[in-house]
Amino acid sequence: MTGYILKRLISAIPVLLGISVIVFLIMAMIPGDPATAILGSYATPENVEKLNRDLGLDQGIVSRYFIWLGNMLQGDFGRSFALNRPVLDEVTDRFGATLILAGTSFVLCSVFGIAAGVISAARQYGFADKAITFVVLLGISIPSFFLGMMMILIFAVKLRWFPVSGMWPIYGARNFWVLLDHLAMPALALAVVATGVVARLARSAMLEVLRQDFVRTARAKGVPERRVIWRHALRAAMVAIIPVLGIQAGFVLSGAVYIEMVFQWPGVGRMLVDAILKRDILLVQGGVVFIAACYVLFNILVDVAQALLDPRIKT
Amino acid sequence: MIGFLKLLARNRLALAGLIVMGLVVVLALITPLLPLANPDIPDTPNRFKPPFSDGAILGTDHLGRDLLSRLLWGTRLSLAMGFAAAVIAAVLGSAIGITAGFYGGRTDNIMMRGIDMLMAFPYILLALAIVAALGPGLMNALIAVAAVNVPFFARNIRGITVGIAHMEFVDAARLAGMRDREIIAAEVLPNVLPVIVIAMSTTVGWMILETAGLSFLGLGSQPPQADLGSMLGEARSALITSPHTSVVPGAMILIIVMAINLLGDGVRDALDPRLKSGALTRPMPATMVDLQDAPPVATTKSLLDITQLRTEFRVRGRTYMAVGGVNLHVEKGECLGIIGESGSGKSVTALSIMGLVASPPGVITGGAVHFDGKNLIGAPYEVLRSLRGRRVAYIFQDPLATLHPLYTVGAQLVEAIQTHDPVPKSTARARAIDLLKSVRIPNAESRINSFPYEMSGGMRQRVGIAMALANDPGVIIADEPTTALDVTVQAQILALLSDLRRERGLAIIFITHDFGVVGQLCDRVAVMYAGRIVEEGPTEAVLRVPQHPYTSRLIDCVPVLGAGQRRLAAIPGLPPVVDRLPTGCAFADRCDKAVDACRSGDIALNASGLGRKTRCLFPENTVKETA
Repeated sequence: MTGYILKRLISAIPVLLGISVIVFLIMAMIPGDPATAILGSYATPENVEKLNRDLGLDQGIVSRYFIWLGNMLQGDFGRSFALNRPVLDEVTDRFGATLILAGTSFVLCSVFGIAAGVISAARQYGFADKAITFVVLLGISIPSFFLGMMMILIFAVKLRWFPVSGMWPIYGARNFWVLLDHLAMPALALAVVATGVVARLARSAMLEVLRQDFVRTARAKGVPERRVIWRHALRAAMVAIIPVLGIQAGFVLSGAVYIEMVFQWPGVGRMLVDAILKRDILLVQGGVVFIAACYVLFNILVDVAQALLDPRIKT
Repeated sequence: MIGFLKLLARNRLALAGLIVMGLVVVLALITPLLPLANPDIPDTPNRFKPPFSDGAILGTDHLGRDLLSRLLWGTRLSLAMGFAAAVIAAVLGSAIGITAGFYGGRTDNIMMRGIDMLMAFPYILLALAIVAALGPGLMNALIAVAAVNVPFFARNIRGITVGIAHMEFVDAARLAGMRDREIIAAEVLPNVLPVIVIAMSTTVGWMILETAGLSFLGLGSQPPQADLGSMLGEARSALITSPHTSVVPGAMILIIVMAINLLGDGVRDALDPRLKSGALTRPMPATMVDLQDAPPVATTKSLLDITQLRTEFRVRGRTYMAVGGVNLHVEKGECLGIIGESGSGKSVTALSIMGLVASPPGVITGGAVHFDGKNLIGAPYEVLRSLRGRRVAYIFQDPLATLHPLYTVGAQLVEAIQTHDPVPKSTARARAIDLLKSVRIPNAESRINSFPYEMSGGMRQRVGIAMALANDPGVIIADEPTTALDVTVQAQILALLSDLRRERGLAIIFITHDFGVVGQLCDRVAVMYAGRIVEEGPTEAVLRVPQHPYTSRLIDCVPVLGAGQRRLAAIPGLPPVVDRLPTGCAFADRCDKAVDACRSGDIALNASGLGRKTRCLFPENTVKETA
């Protein structure tokens, strides 16, 4: 297994390089003078010249890429002109909050999505199946930002169950329960669409598996139906579900942008939007590369989970 | 096409989606013609008017602009953006997909690697990066959303194109001297076009949602022009004081996306032939029972007695009578063979006993199965379950498909034991090892940790047998257990079953299409044809002097080793389709002795002496015997 993980890590290197090339090319599309775009139109000529030197803007596009890549590998993602601090510091500071939000949503969408899909398949065309199918349809059709706003209106303003926004109270203690209180609504709002997608896939994967011969074998052994569904069938269906969970992880990670805006959550998503509106290009560039790299690494985890589940995958 | 529309119309939800979407599109199209207030001119004294106030049925927003007007214009813009993004993504993605799929090789490799890289990004992140580079704005958001969706189209279309590029008609076009560009335009494109359209119909909802999302973040349409997303974004600051400004655009997005999703699902269902055939229904824990008349009493006092069993498959209004009134019985320690061609109903008979026929579509419509004097047809699920594997165990045909691929054989054996006997795991494991030894698996202690895919076919079938033996059942039903195996392995498995039967006093019902196997193992044999038993009797006698013409023709089909050159007598014709069984003898159309009487009425399974029964008006060989 260690060998397999190592192999997957090595195979991630070209993907990471590809990501850096794509981000670099996108940023090279910036119209006009990049230094002005990065520093804003009020930049002093000295600063412009310094930046041009730092980024190698006086050189060709290929060497510019390698300068940028080299700097990143040394942990230098550049400096945010709007915040006047290193990009990497700002990104890592913010990333924790996003990780808490997206991680919780990921757990929610996995657990509820799979459970809903399994129940739906086991009770195909029954009441539970129809109810779940309808809720799932509603869930995948509602924009998360609208859902978040409606949740604030109902559960925070009307019912006062949860705080309106933010990650921590302005005054008072910062402990796990306070965090949970603030996390509940945004995590749920972010999880809804992904839950729907997972539930749909889990349902069809389960229907596919339940027709397999080994399910009949389990039944012929006298295994109770509950165990047939939740052990035999679900385990086999997970082979199809896990890759989709990987995709959903990327979805909640990037979809967190909307939720962070709605709930004033201090994560990288909100940082990116602010940076885009302020034309803080280096911050955007660094943030995007960082998140994409994390996602690539997470997908290795997904592959490893798949290999652990399915012994037929050569490790 | 008409059939497709009919299917779509039959799906009421999809139809509702189509109607709602049609209404929204029509509204968006006629918006400029409607007598609406200008959506972009502020009227600050009248800000935040609630819905249903004079002159503004949906109220006004934070600048006093009429919400209805802004909603309709915003819908128009959002729809236009979504559709435009879908078209751009479809055109670019399909161009890449077709090129990569058609040319293959290196072109394919490089292009698809690039696509993979794009897909390595979390979805919206890439769109944000593009907007960051191009700057916020309507067109830039459109480009970003389209770009993010290109990989989806490229991948799907490439897959289809690869298939088409290797078809005969493409080769023919090439031989006819057509150039690549002409082939793509004339042969490939028309074939992938439907797929492109479907992919668009399923993604346009996403794209509307995504462009609205970017606008919501302030990165899409810029004030005063507004789409639904930016309306929602601007309303956010007044969410608590004037919620209607948020609810109106939000609900509209929800309605549009939901309608598109419903429609998309309907389109997909209408096009997926598997759903039409009902193949995607999952079998229930036990076969459905729908008895047409009162269950008969058992005809014998045997361990297992099947009386007048009828099992049907109901598929889309048609009824296939797979088992049409079968009587069978097996005594303690006896081996009964059931033989017949595929489709004769022998497996369905066997699976009906414990309610294991996949249902839907299978339904048991009549008869009784008495085990130890108790009728199992219509018995509660829990009764069936407690007998399954404990008193009546099954061995199935293909052990690779019938063993769970992701559990070790040990785990599966332990489960079989613990299901009916709650012993501790270590005890169950020790017993599992003993079981593996009893089916003569070498190194049972280490083999127990193997996965099914790590074993040979013969070993796997031994595991299947061990699992059936786990709870010392009274009856083992073996459904073609040796069909998937090599001849030598087959012989070993048969010898094993024969020994186990003697050691343990097992009753075996052995289903096969192979007379050789029956001769080796079975005391009695029943021959099935078109869902009914046509002949039954002691194996020796039936094999030596078959009485039913079908049996004798079937035996003639078997090549005899060392019998020299002999023309194998295949039976002309095919078995009848079991949803239109002829009256009278089902074999009549293939039988050279058939007369009118054979086709005029039901023929009984008559006893013909010496424990034999035949369903024939003119049985063979009887004259010889009596003479």
